[in-house]
Amino acid sequence: MATLISKAAVRGIVRLGNIIIPGDGELPSYEEYGGYEHVDDLLMYAPKNDIGDLGMVLTILSFMPKFVLVWLVNKMSASHGKGNGPWILLRQLDMGIRGIVLSTYYTEKGGASFSGIAPLEGIDYSITRMED
Amino acid sequence: MQDFIIVGSGSSGGILARSLQEGGAEVTLVEAGKFFRKDTFPRTEAAYSSQLFWGGGLEFDDKAKSAYLRAKCVGGTTNVNQCLMNRFDDLALEDWRQRSGVDWLTLDTLNPHYEKVEDIMELHTFERKDFNRNAELFTGGCDKLDYKWKYLRRGQKDCKIEEGNDCIGCLGGCQRDSKQSTLVIGIQVAEKMGLNVLSEFEVDSVVHHDDHVVLLGEHEGQKKELSARKMILAGGSFGTTKILLNSGMKKSLPSLGKGFCQHPQYMAFGIFDEPVDSHKGAFQTVASGDPKMREAGFKLENVYAPPIAVGMLFNSYGSEHQRLMKKYRYMACIEAAVRDQPEGGELDIDKKGNLVVRKTLTEQDLVRADKGIEAINNVFAAAGAKEVIDSPFYFGLHLMGGCSLGVDPVKSVINPDFQVHGHKNIYVADSSVFPSAPGINPSLTIMTLSQKLGEQLLKN
Repeated sequence: MATLISKAAVRGIVRLGNIIIPGDGELPSYEEYGGYEHVDDLLMYAPKNDIGDLGMVLTILSFMPKFVLVWLVNKMSASHGKGNGPWILLRQLDMGIRGIVLSTYYTEKGGASFSGIAPLEGIDYSITRMED
Repeated sequence: MQDFIIVGSGSSGGILARSLQEGGAEVTLVEAGKFFRKDTFPRTEAAYSSQLFWGGGLEFDDKAKSAYLRAKCVGGTTNVNQCLMNRFDDLALEDWRQRSGVDWLTLDTLNPHYEKVEDIMELHTFERKDFNRNAELFTGGCDKLDYKWKYLRRGQKDCKIEEGNDCIGCLGGCQRDSKQSTLVIGIQVAEKMGLNVLSEFEVDSVVHHDDHVVLLGEHEGQKKELSARKMILAGGSFGTTKILLNSGMKKSLPSLGKGFCQHPQYMAFGIFDEPVDSHKGAFQTVASGDPKMREAGFKLENVYAPPIAVGMLFNSYGSEHQRLMKKYRYMACIEAAVRDQPEGGELDIDKKGNLVVRKTLTEQDLVRADKGIEAINNVFAAAGAKEVIDSPFYFGLHLMGGCSLGVDPVKSVINPDFQVHGHKNIYVADSSVFPSAPGINPSLTIMTLSQKLGEQLLKN
């Protein structure tokens, strides 16, 4: 489980992740897949200042009601193509949060208790890599 | 004392390391990133996206409108790009001559150096037999519209595509040493001749003296200083400019940081009823070859990306995101790269010495982008796409400028001999010296300028 950010911050990622990837019966929801258990694998390479800031934001968001999170995800999505001011922060949040969510969802490493069809299998993605 | 220290190991540093080491010099190559080789590159998209790039994945401009993928590893971005090798044309060089006043920026001068660089790598010009379905749709759509296209040329050797290898995987580093990165054609060759490589060494600043240069940085968590008779900064537009700014050179070089360009790239996806499998085989094989597009300031290339990157490019969430991602195998993809103007970009540092990127696309840049996106949509319509998704994001994949080449020390940073104006022992020949965006993949020309510098240094 994650050690570089708090449990509350992980809860924040999961709640936002479920809005971004809710699951549809064919593909699991973000929480169901459980890739967030390996979020340290990503965060260990991020600048320490960024982890601190992101952890704080996620912790605050973890306590927000769902309608606030839905509103936020909607605004984050809408921020691209908009001007400056508050839209800058929303764009930064969008890229940061979606980066973590998508990187811990479309990955081979799921949660310890997941047993269904993994997302990469669900979208039928596979490549062949021939080593030397 | 070392003859040379090279800071940065990508298109410029890797070639210089080999050139100088072959010439018998004592060379140390310093690189901020880790030293991966073919058997140690991360094997999955999630792993290499976080481990091989500055910022743990992406960097942004100060308004978070433009994203940057800048590699941080020995071999630099040549490990993670597609190794497309294009010589510049005179349209690009004429603009450089006018802006810089450097009269040797001609094909007559550069062609012999292009040849020397091309001689040390294996090159493959794609043919129709190399096409995947994405390329077939691209060229078919172009043919219907009478858009001229051309085969791309790539630095590659024995990629085993015919035997089923999928080269999209080498966006995270080549596991076969097939991609002709500067790790393969430069650094690993130079190591056999005695090149000293210091990885995970981040340089903060340099101090110029009359007969040597000192660099100050941090290596594996410890403050370090290194000295050499000559220093070559090869950290690219961001890295080299940042070092010179942190070295306090803005006062004597008023143009330092100015003229940043990035070839903003816009991607669009066409969705088809049948699988396209754009991620299979040789995933990038053709580009526009239309003189009208060249004059209009953009080019098109067929391209694709692995799932995390594709997911990021869709500005959607919820059920719409999942609907689109389930179409991953059914998508063709085309990118438009814009030849942006240098007047809209500047690199600076904040009070902590961190890089700040200021980039505003000019009216002309936006007109060019609109034309490129329109051309993409035309190609998809002609190819029979059922739905087209234009990504709202643009990336700066070719980072250029900040230390412009030129004769005038007020308007430029690097003199025609590649020396920092007023600092005879510090040299630069990486993408930071570009006076403007060429509208052509810059790798081969960065290598070529660096090869020219290498010859010059050995002669002197």
